[in-house]
Amino acid sequence: MSAQSTLPPPTAAPDTRPRTGSRLLRRLAESPEAGVVIACVVVFAAIAANASTYASVGNLQVMGRDLAQVGILAIGESLVILTGGIDLSVGALAGLAGILAAWFNVNAGLPAPVAILFTLAVCAVVGIWHGTMVTKLNVPPFVITLVTFTTAQGLALAITGGTPINGIDPLFSNLSSFYIQRIPVPAIFFFGVALIAWFALERTYIGRQVYAVGGNKEAARLAGIPVARRITTTYVASALLAGVVGILVIGRMNVADPSVGGSGWELIAIAAAVVGGMSLFGGEGRIIGVAAGAILLEFIANGLLALHVSPYYQQVVQGVVLGVAILLDRLRASYFGRSRR
Amino acid sequence: MAEPTSTPSRAVTARLRGVHKSYGPVRVLDLPELDLHGGQVIGVVGENGAGKSTLMGTLAGSVHRDGGDIEIDGVPLPPGSTEAAQRLGVALVSQEFPLVGQLSVAENLLLGRRPRVTRGRFLVDRSALKAEAEAMLADIGLSAKAIGGVHREVRSLPVPTRQMIEIAKAWGREPKLLILDEPTSALGPVEAAMVFGLARQVADRGGTVLFIGHRLDEVREISDRILVLRNGRLVADLTPEEATEARLIREMVGGEISHLAPPPVADPDAAPYLSLRGLTAAGLGPLDLDVHAGEIVGVAGLMGSGRSRLIHTVAGAQPATGGTMTLAGQPYRPHGPADGTAAGISLIPEDRKEQSLVLFAPIAANVTVAILRRISSRGLLSPGRQRAEGRKIAEGVRVRMQSVDQPVGSLSGGNQQRVVFGRAFATKPRLLLLDEPTRGVDVGAKAEIYELIDGAAAEGMAVLVASSELEELQLICHRIAVLRRGRVTAVLSGDEATKERIMTAAAGTTTESPVTVPNGAGQ
Repeated sequence: MSAQSTLPPPTAAPDTRPRTGSRLLRRLAESPEAGVVIACVVVFAAIAANASTYASVGNLQVMGRDLAQVGILAIGESLVILTGGIDLSVGALAGLAGILAAWFNVNAGLPAPVAILFTLAVCAVVGIWHGTMVTKLNVPPFVITLVTFTTAQGLALAITGGTPINGIDPLFSNLSSFYIQRIPVPAIFFFGVALIAWFALERTYIGRQVYAVGGNKEAARLAGIPVARRITTTYVASALLAGVVGILVIGRMNVADPSVGGSGWELIAIAAAVVGGMSLFGGEGRIIGVAAGAILLEFIANGLLALHVSPYYQQVVQGVVLGVAILLDRLRASYFGRSRR
Repeated sequence: MAEPTSTPSRAVTARLRGVHKSYGPVRVLDLPELDLHGGQVIGVVGENGAGKSTLMGTLAGSVHRDGGDIEIDGVPLPPGSTEAAQRLGVALVSQEFPLVGQLSVAENLLLGRRPRVTRGRFLVDRSALKAEAEAMLADIGLSAKAIGGVHREVRSLPVPTRQMIEIAKAWGREPKLLILDEPTSALGPVEAAMVFGLARQVADRGGTVLFIGHRLDEVREISDRILVLRNGRLVADLTPEEATEARLIREMVGGEISHLAPPPVADPDAAPYLSLRGLTAAGLGPLDLDVHAGEIVGVAGLMGSGRSRLIHTVAGAQPATGGTMTLAGQPYRPHGPADGTAAGISLIPEDRKEQSLVLFAPIAANVTVAILRRISSRGLLSPGRQRAEGRKIAEGVRVRMQSVDQPVGSLSGGNQQRVVFGRAFATKPRLLLLDEPTRGVDVGAKAEIYELIDGAAAEGMAVLVASSELEELQLICHRIAVLRRGRVTAVLSGDEATKERIMTAAAGTTTESPVTVPNGAGQ
């Protein structure tokens, strides 16, 4: 045989196959998503046991609506993260989208569906702008989306002069306050978006090419994958989802409040993506994990309220959770020898 | 082996007219006229920087040519589009295996395209993906089972397997023009023979293979026609009969490399300066090796044999897991590269752009970075002093520059490498560690770098140099240690160090009990 064998190292030999049970266990432990899902169950059970209102239908509905905000942002965010980028603008853009939709509707007198369409179009343009700057001029994603973050926040305040826009079309609040079988519509939006994203990433060529671009951009380029288009697509998707969130938010509050864009949602979205196993270096992570990550963060945030933890400590706890999640992920990765760099 | 070049099927696969490419002021490719005919394996040889990679990149679309026309089978190829090149039937197997580690073998094999027999245009057809991936591996004679299934993540596979996957990937596109960029450098003889067979198959069915090789014997064996590039120009277009090894080397170099054998070691019987006993580290050892003051010891071996790892372990950049190292009789246990430099070791790493230089910073800042403490007074550094020291160091290694304030990135490859040497010498090291000291340096500059290394040894430094170029080691080294799977299989000195003996020791063609040390993936 030659000096360098094409055979893989002996450790990978399939003949040392343990029983199916322990194999399944190992598979579970190896998959980053399993940990988050288990954490969701444990956290929910633990808090529900200590706070009687936590598992009530009313509170679950509240959590469902919250999920529609941060969860949808997290899914958009994770698409960008998959390509090795980051989108800091999602929170501010969601805020601006809400203001724009209300402004088109109230101040410009457009019917609500048209206002929504216009708003989403603006968001798409913002996404195309991000993608173009990142792919054509090599602007670091952090910088270009930070520019949008600042501008969008300022624009939201400038358009409204700082005062909320009242009297929006009932369609907006209908979108947010309806229930289907006692499930709030926004939560259905979240699960729908998660399902579509999962399907697109796992089962379509475009999705698999996004993974390739994030995993090894040069390989993707040499393989003839339109790298710039794939990257731009993820920024557009992220911006569009931010627009959807903005529209859902004004419906929920029945008023377009310009301060929404400053509530730091982009950071929670990034946290959910990372907790869910997305690698910030790109090319790694799955939507299932991100969805579970968003749910976990919501369980904790809501649970702290239910347990009457002081608001000051709520943030501390959230930070600690993020830290522990990242630590566990790294330990797991190094234990299984899957260096993620 | 080589068929006569005057076969009747002389259809032109690729027609190049006036193709050129420049990087800054340097014209790296300039081909007024070149036709690549079907049914042939065409060897391309040339020194580093001769324009081979640029030529391939231009054809494959990964390099955007500045001008000129390329036609593939009569269809014009737009510049700088890998997609267009692939559509026209150009496939490139490059040296750096552009694979996506996180994706499975099957997905890498079909990266950027869909299975031929598939149900959907947009949806991934997993069973078709798996079937076609397995068929592609089978096509090049590799069974999917042998690599642990096509669903394995590519990053868990060793380097040679990745190279074979890369080849299968190109092969699966059924290319009209198949470009192989040093495909055998990571492979053993068995796999190399497989690759040759594949190249021949492409030619037999009327396609063209462009075979870029470093090993001249290989190129001569496989090719029907051999092109020699020098400084971006086509300097010779030879039949295999004309292309003797001597002729090829003469055409490649365009003059003789003027370098004399290194002066003998002052005192070969003295105690060695660096002494390794039973040294082990990840993917390395156990091995024993001595280097004397004033001696240049080469480290040869195939890719992934542990050349770089040995250098890095001695430098302290990679932790040793066992054995002992002594420097001038003192035990030496580095916990990091800082311990290495403190002990008088200077490392010149493999990749000067990534690991050595701050390209946009001035030359002066680059050469003085290791001696900032020495040239500052009471912790304060005066810019004038830094420039003066910088100029002294740069002139000491004869960097051709306009001023020391010029960014290092504006220098040529050879000059950049001199800056790296200057920085290393400035620390007055006792042991110099070199990893691929002349990578990406043109031939003329090579000779000057050899002189710098000689000079260092003559001043009494011990030098350990790892290189993939055997000719280079034969030229500059007193002794050559050959590594195979992290162990020293031979130490050859002077006349013993023939190419054949080195390659035999490196490839381990002699019967030997299988080594249990994991082969590692070459990082």
